[in-house]
Amino acid sequence: MDRQKIRWIIFTGLFVIVALAYTVEIKMVSQPSFEVKKSFDYIESLPEGTILMVSFDHEASSLPEVQPISLVLIRHAFRNNLKIIGLSLFAEGTAIGYRTLNRIAAEYDKRYGYDYVFLGFKPQHIAAILGMGESIYDVFPRDYLGHLTDTIPIMDSVENYDDIEMVISITDGDRAVQWIEYAGPRYNQKIMAGLTAAMITSYDPYLSSGQLSSVIGGLKGAAEYENLYGEPGKGNRGMPAQTAAHLYLVVLIVIGNIIYFRNRKRQGRGGL
Amino acid sequence: MNIGVIIAGILTLAIYTFLYKDNPIYRAAESLLIGLAIGYVLVIYWQTAFMDRIFLPLLNQGDLWVLIPLILGLLMFSRFSRKYSWLSRIPIALMIGAGAGVAIPAMLYARTLKQISASVMPLIGENGAFNFEALVVIVGLLSTLSYFYFSREHKGIIGQVAKLGTYFLMLFFGATFGYTVMSRMSTFIGRIDFLLSDFLQIIR
Repeated sequence: MDRQKIRWIIFTGLFVIVALAYTVEIKMVSQPSFEVKKSFDYIESLPEGTILMVSFDHEASSLPEVQPISLVLIRHAFRNNLKIIGLSLFAEGTAIGYRTLNRIAAEYDKRYGYDYVFLGFKPQHIAAILGMGESIYDVFPRDYLGHLTDTIPIMDSVENYDDIEMVISITDGDRAVQWIEYAGPRYNQKIMAGLTAAMITSYDPYLSSGQLSSVIGGLKGAAEYENLYGEPGKGNRGMPAQTAAHLYLVVLIVIGNIIYFRNRKRQGRGGL
Repeated sequence: MNIGVIIAGILTLAIYTFLYKDNPIYRAAESLLIGLAIGYVLVIYWQTAFMDRIFLPLLNQGDLWVLIPLILGLLMFSRFSRKYSWLSRIPIALMIGAGAGVAIPAMLYARTLKQISASVMPLIGENGAFNFEALVVIVGLLSTLSYFYFSREHKGIIGQVAKLGTYFLMLFFGATFGYTVMSRMSTFIGRIDFLLSDFLQIIR
């Protein structure tokens, strides 16, 4: 069989398996990992009115993976009456962040300017992170909608990182690293990250060295957080499909290895 | 159905036609994606960098200080002239100088000093129990570093330790590969969710 046909069969198989697993209702229980539990417990422990900064540092292409994380985190924050200052240090994340905040705020009857605000995007992210350590008003003189930042009620008690409990960077790349490197040591700012699964190993050194408070990784992390939060959402919905796709890939890897070693044996190069 | 959902659904399917083989439908959708992304980012940068930071302060508040970054920025375009291209070195030198000054201490602290202190953990814990994790970390660290030590031939004990380092590296690559597969599957599942729920409305 030629390679092209094998490719079609593999992709068709993947599509069928994922679509079937998605269509059929299967309840899966994801045990929360230590990091997700730590993230949840920390948000849960914060008193009402605490201000969090949520930075939407990702592109639209990673939405399926990071949006379930931002949705459940913001829901949790709003349910506990925490306040959110949203922003983006990634141009593509700007509209996404604004829409996500507005969507969840509507579910919890939160008012723009009082319970949350979206500051928009700022180019030169390192300068922006450092600048906010001195004064958020200097970096963002106006919010995303063009209001003067110093006239927005939620910003009355906020000058810089001293007034922000934690920065949560929802990212598909290394933007959270810059938060860790520049807002962490210099301004003693706590950082949490919502990451795509592909980035988890890159952030492990920051986690084990204590520079990063906690992480929520990928769709699985979102599903675990949703379970702790008590409202299954997109993360949980994707878990059966994720598991089915992984099993499918494991089977393909095993078949591929069997074929490889059989061919080696035939060519007289030995088995294992 | 929302017109945006219909367009997004058709474009999603257009991109997936690549799985069959490269074709004009795929290339049209790909070009549209790149064009839209660049256009969107350009508008955002124009508004947040030029309008908010330069033109509005200059025209509305008469803030002449903004002329300095404006001129420095414009000097970058001198690269297009052979005669005046040397002028672009001024903003480049400023950027590199300031960038290095800001980045070196931060990166040295976060990527080197903090990592060293996190790697050196006591083998015996406060309660007197043996810390197995610390042993794994120190063995993994030293063996992996010895793999990248090229000043001596990897023979004898150095060769053995370096070989052990490759196993730690393989563990890391395996974990990274596994997470990457998980990540790509999640993206695919997100698209399937969109196609089946929003576009085709097969599931609710």
